[in-house]
Amino acid sequence: MSGEPGNVNRTQYRLGFWLLLAPIVLWLSLLIILPHIDMVLVSLRERIASRQYGFSLSNYTAFFTEPLYWNTFVRTAVMSVIATLLTLIIAFPVSFYIAKVLTGRPKIALFILCLIPFWVSELVRTYGWMILLRETGLISGALQWFGLADQPVEMLYNDVAIMVGLIYTSMLFMVVPLVTTLDSLDNSLIEAGYDLGGSSLHVMKSIVIPHAMPGIMSGCIVVFMLTLGNYLTPTLLGGKDSLWFTEQIYTQFITRFNWEQGAAFGILLLVLSSLIVWLGLKITKQSFTRVMS
Amino acid sequence: MTDQAFASGVDAEVQEDLACALLSKHFGEFAAVDGVSFSIPRGAFFSILGPSGCGKTTLLRMLAGFQQPDSGDILIKGSSVLHTPPNKRPVNMVFQHLALFPTMSVAQNIAYGLKRKGVPKREHASLIDEVLAKVQLPGYGDKRIDQLSGGQKQRVAIARCLVLNPAVLLLDEPLGALDLKLREQMKIELKRLQREFNTTFVYITHDQSEAMVMSDQVAVMNKGRFEQVGTPQELYYQPKTAFVASFVGDSNQYAGTVQAQSGQVVTIVTEHGVRLLSYGSQPMPSGSPVTLFIRPEVMQISTSQPVTEQDNCLKVTILRMLFDGAHSQVQVETAERVVLTVALPQTADFQALEAGRSVYVSWQASQCLCFPVSPEPAEAAQ
Amino acid sequence: MIPSIASSRFFRMSYLGYVTLFFIFLITPLVVVAAFSFNDSLFPSLPWNGFTWDWYFGEGEPRLGLFHDEALLDSIGVSVQVAAVTTLASLALATCNAFLFEREQFPGKNFLYVLMLMPLVVPGVILGVSILVFSSTVANWFEVQFNYEIEALRPGLLLVTLGQFAFITTIATLVISARLRKFDITQEEAAMNLGASRLTAIATVTVPFLKPALLGAGVVAFLMSFENFNTTLMLVGSDAPLTIAMFDRLREGSTPVLNAVSVLLMVGSACLALVSMFAQRPDKH
Repeated sequence: MSGEPGNVNRTQYRLGFWLLLAPIVLWLSLLIILPHIDMVLVSLRERIASRQYGFSLSNYTAFFTEPLYWNTFVRTAVMSVIATLLTLIIAFPVSFYIAKVLTGRPKIALFILCLIPFWVSELVRTYGWMILLRETGLISGALQWFGLADQPVEMLYNDVAIMVGLIYTSMLFMVVPLVTTLDSLDNSLIEAGYDLGGSSLHVMKSIVIPHAMPGIMSGCIVVFMLTLGNYLTPTLLGGKDSLWFTEQIYTQFITRFNWEQGAAFGILLLVLSSLIVWLGLKITKQSFTRVMS
Repeated sequence: MTDQAFASGVDAEVQEDLACALLSKHFGEFAAVDGVSFSIPRGAFFSILGPSGCGKTTLLRMLAGFQQPDSGDILIKGSSVLHTPPNKRPVNMVFQHLALFPTMSVAQNIAYGLKRKGVPKREHASLIDEVLAKVQLPGYGDKRIDQLSGGQKQRVAIARCLVLNPAVLLLDEPLGALDLKLREQMKIELKRLQREFNTTFVYITHDQSEAMVMSDQVAVMNKGRFEQVGTPQELYYQPKTAFVASFVGDSNQYAGTVQAQSGQVVTIVTEHGVRLLSYGSQPMPSGSPVTLFIRPEVMQISTSQPVTEQDNCLKVTILRMLFDGAHSQVQVETAERVVLTVALPQTADFQALEAGRSVYVSWQASQCLCFPVSPEPAEAAQ
Repeated sequence: MIPSIASSRFFRMSYLGYVTLFFIFLITPLVVVAAFSFNDSLFPSLPWNGFTWDWYFGEGEPRLGLFHDEALLDSIGVSVQVAAVTTLASLALATCNAFLFEREQFPGKNFLYVLMLMPLVVPGVILGVSILVFSSTVANWFEVQFNYEIEALRPGLLLVTLGQFAFITTIATLVISARLRKFDITQEEAAMNLGASRLTAIATVTVPFLKPALLGAGVVAFLMSFENFNTTLMLVGSDAPLTIAMFDRLREGSTPVLNAVSVLLMVGSACLALVSMFAQRPDKH
């Protein structure tokens, strides 16, 4: 007797459900999953003749036998890890200052000040560093003016310049999650830590950092991803010899039109980044969904 | 068969705004609402009182149409609404947390239902002013919801429903979020509004005082069933079950076994052989375990043995004084270590009482009730 | 460490000094870019030759100002178009996603959620090339099968838009879901109780509640699209959006007109930031 209206409700509900499900499935399959599968397939083939392809691992063997590729890959990974750690080390005290030392208006103001540079394009930010670091730039000029150098100093086009640029570009993605998690830490927990006889260092280690761990992780993951996949900063600040892996991908795809090789590089970079993210999550025992949202 | 009998009964009495017949709702094995039937006369203030988890919210949500019953029927003004979706039912609801729309002003909140009903726009303003005046918030139409106090939000939530002239207004513990003083005021206010609009109110609550003060009829609900339906006075003075006796009002409970029963008077013997007299409305075989319910205010306290003959009189020791102005009480312990709470009249006679003193408490058999101990343990009140 | 706990003056001072240095580090590059847009010199570098508006309003080579530089203005137009389409499309899908993840229960929901987050952890360059590879596969297949060339699937603005849409949607979904999670679902029931159908209830009660998040997500989506470089670089055809056009000029070495464009971007971003801040304001408490 009463089953019928229930069924009507259910069909309506199911219809709504399918209407909501369809777009996301289309989006993920057409723009994310299928393209990546296709890229894997392309990376596993070799051109035999015009429009004739055969299965081959040659694109991957090329990567392992050509030292330039291999070195660039390792170099990119190592520099990205260093950049991520440096960003964390620089950002943590600042985030703590904003979240815990300041209150009220100054807190909001400083937090917004942190965000401002990132409302501006990465290109503009990198451009700023170019003006500062180049031979005719501000820092070189200042050094000469103070008598610390007697001729223009070129500070662009080296690894330090790349590192400065990468850290600068990544800062927001570290500061925001850190401030958010630190902000949610109840001050009385820190006070209790002291009250029970903990030293500053111990309270930091046993109360603050464990609490901030999700924020630290999500910051590190995002920064690492962005650094590894960065193209602009290494190219502009590192010049021709920056040896960044994304440049290799770009070269293979756009300059040499060797898509098979480029696709293989893309897959390798993706595997590397997934692996490091996965390791990071495993070591700190965080869940991916929790860290990302 | 009962179903049909009920339906024909409803046809005869057109004076009913809302009736339910054998309404049930199960969630898996759990029976949230279990064969509930009732009918509410037009313009009554009807409360459903029960502890949390007793199924009262499920019942209310079925009346509003947010949940479908497994079986049974709901009749509004004599016709079934089982197949009417919630937005077409002539009932409106004041939600537990009010569910006022924060993105709209007071007037827009009230106009919301009018718009959905297709009331011409030019009539909105006068209807809104009228209902705001009735809930004593004249001129509040342009305020934002977050500018209102807790009590004002209540009134807006009620006005938003009553402007639609519903057959029945459902209220889901709307006073829960208010502080004590405001809650007392709102009880009186709700009662006044109900009289003024002459609408049938169905009010669910776990707070017996809310139900008692406002209602014409109260249904006490427990484990998906109605234990008793009656006026507040009936529930308080003539509870039909042990649950109602313990849930409605405060009671001291005293365990014992039946020794004899003559008419209404039951003689009870406690574990240590104390004899107590009580009224009992149902026949109880001697030897069966019973619980005696004694209200704190029926017990007389005296410093010396009462001269007149009392049905029950116990010599007790004062454990502690609980001073609370006119509601002051004293906790005493009987010789067999049962703790009783006794109301303490604020007269000079009792000002000298202190913990450790021996006093007498006495009461008449007609002022207390006993119920057989049910096989399953009786649920503690609140 | 925190104000309620005493620390030495030296510690507090050095902490403050560190934070000050950090903010100088943060702000200097932007200030420098802005300052040199007014330098009366053909190169954005020292020495300072005095103040000029030439890099905004200069009318001819070599001092062609931003507002007369057709190529740059065109690329801004391209960027605005792409950003507008990307924003609208990603907001629409993100709203659907938010309802799906917050309201529905279905098997595989967690898996789908993780998939939905994936675009955030795929480097932009790879997202770009994967879409490039797949779209050419599809286009080639059509060409072989039907002898029909689908121009839209070759590098160009459609692919740029799709590439940006692919990851911006995830961000918008996170923003809108967070807001929807805070929504008290009884408000929808209240609306239905007052006579609204389910869809009317969502349109009149839920969507207005989501408005700040929609606006915030919209601003973020617009900016992310406008400033995107990595994905765009791989998918761009003949029409270059602003970031690509600027990049090309940067590599060639350019006049301070680029500084002028940068200042314009800063002002634009600041305006959008203000808009989104005011939008979120009423529900501060």
